Amino acid sequence: MIMAELRKLSDSDRFNLMLALVGNLIDGAPYDVPELAKHFKVPEIEITNAVKTLGFIEINHHSPYGIDFDDLEDGNVALSFKEKMSLKEVPRLSARQASALAAGLVYLKSIPGLAESDEIETLQNIIASGFEETKAPEIRINPVGIDLDIRILRQAINKGVAIKCDYQDNKNVTTTERVIEPLRIDPHSEVIYLRGWCQEKQALRSFRIDRMRNTVILEDVRISDQAKQAELQDEIYVPSDSDVEVVLEVEPGAYGLMYDLKPIAEPVAVNKTSRRFTVKVGDVRNLGRLVTRYGGAAKVISPEDARKAVRDFALAAINPETADTPKDAE
Amino acid sequence: MADKSVAKYKISKPERLFALTCALLYSKVGLSKHQILSSIPGYMNEYKPNGNNKTLERKFERDKDTLRHNGIVAEAVIPAHEDENNQATVYVIKKSEFVWPEHIKLTARQLALLSLAAEAWAGGSLSTAANKGIVKLRSMGVVGEDSDIAGIAPRIIEHEPNFREINNAVSDQRVIKFDYRNPNTGVIETRALEPWLIQQLDGQWIVLGFDQKNKEPRNFMLRRMVSKVTVAPNSAPFEAPSPEDVKKATDDLEKFADSQIATLRIKPDTAAFFRYEPKLREQKSKDVLTLRYYDKFVLAEQIREYPGQIDVIEPKELSELVQAGYKKVVDDHG
Repeated sequence: MIMAELRKLSDSDRFNLMLALVGNLIDGAPYDVPELAKHFKVPEIEITNAVKTLGFIEINHHSPYGIDFDDLEDGNVALSFKEKMSLKEVPRLSARQASALAAGLVYLKSIPGLAESDEIETLQNIIASGFEETKAPEIRINPVGIDLDIRILRQAINKGVAIKCDYQDNKNVTTTERVIEPLRIDPHSEVIYLRGWCQEKQALRSFRIDRMRNTVILEDVRISDQAKQAELQDEIYVPSDSDVEVVLEVEPGAYGLMYDLKPIAEPVAVNKTSRRFTVKVGDVRNLGRLVTRYGGAAKVISPEDARKAVRDFALAAINPETADTPKDAE
Repeated sequence: MADKSVAKYKISKPERLFALTCALLYSKVGLSKHQILSSIPGYMNEYKPNGNNKTLERKFERDKDTLRHNGIVAEAVIPAHEDENNQATVYVIKKSEFVWPEHIKLTARQLALLSLAAEAWAGGSLSTAANKGIVKLRSMGVVGEDSDIAGIAPRIIEHEPNFREINNAVSDQRVIKFDYRNPNTGVIETRALEPWLIQQLDGQWIVLGFDQKNKEPRNFMLRRMVSKVTVAPNSAPFEAPSPEDVKKATDDLEKFADSQIATLRIKPDTAAFFRYEPKLREQKSKDVLTLRYYDKFVLAEQIREYPGQIDVIEPKELSELVQAGYKKVVDDHG
């Protein structure tokens, strides 16, 4: 259902994989290629090629590693360390590798119910012990407090059953009861989404977890086949054919919009700092909130009804008593 | 058995890097550049014994950079008895700096968590580094054990155009220059910074570094940079800060945030109320919320997402900022 695509490896990745392999394999012990590919999460051909390359290496007429090439063709790996100079230790992480992983761990720590905090701390210590100690870390993440408990959602996903909750519909600020077949939780920097199959809409939807209340697990409602077969994209919002094209202009402070909204073409520079781009939008009312938050660093150029939607949204903000509560679509 | 002596066999870059690593790690006294170029596969086949080897030397320099980015330091050493004779420079990888300090095995669950930490960078500037790190760490796990943490895909959002350049400059200790817009005055000024650390605070990416003009540590928000970040070519690296210097500067920023408190009134049964309800409950309050913040402009943006639902009680300047933003949006779309 949800398959991470295997990355294409660069030369530097391949070198890294060779180092990892010799650090992992025990002298002479048998392994099979598919198992190693699964362990290192790389295509099988990369394992075969890395082992082959190790077998080819020759320094001053000495081959540090012995392999059986015919056996390798059959998917079996047995690497023997032939010389004193056959490298078999795992190298340290570079400062950047360590920082990236450490920052990722800090981020995981902020997600409730994912791991015990001492479990993450143990891993943080392992990472720290794996690179030069005198160097300060390069990256640090101090996550936005995610104060919602997602334990119950993860339980439902692991059990493969649906949930029921009250969902705050942003359109008219009312709550409706929803039955959702949960597929995946996507924590983003400010908001956590639940990606799932909405039984009411009969479609894949993204739900903001901060708008869900009174969530209960429906033990008897198994996740349906149509939900399992639905292809989950990495994007939270998937455009449809009925969407309108909207032109926006942003100053650096609102460049984030260019990434959030996924322009249909490369943004164009209007002057030294402003960028103009076109996006597809399902409902122009959604733009009110998105544009207004930037307080002037973003504006809609066209069409007119999109401009009006933003204007109305901001006007209502100035005079909350006289206007209706601003609306935007789900 | 395949025949290694086939003349057509071309040494690949991974093979050359690996052979170089082995040779520098296990040579007793280190290898001179001449020895490296004339004896290591990947160089030796192109080496001209009495000719010009400038291209090969550049290849070696690039390979050293690649090794460094992989966490392997090929150090240049002048043997003690050679005094300061540059000609005698040899290269060596010190074993104590190469290997993990102790023997660590990772459980399948630990590997799954670390993989998730690496995947959080998916598509971001650091995904390559995180992935390489995780491949190394997997070598400490037992093949065949399996534990997946399913049903969750955390993502660290990083789409600052200057992120990669700044991150490289932090690693390589290079001074960066950029045009920065002061949010209070709107004035744009070119800044020169020795970048120390990239932080994400309140969802915003910030670079901390030593400001060369003001001669003190300063913080800059990446989204307020209005130019590309540049690094002077061939500039010398600056001296790395001590972990204590970095800690003091980050502590100072936290202290500053501690001193900035906003008081907000949240309208019940609104989207804003839903958003802040857990915090209100934590503060045992029905509708009045206090928030600590790093940057009033960022907080004003968060508040503007909920028009008519959040009333800024104090500070006054925050309230004015929120309102001024609304007015500007109305004017822009009139």
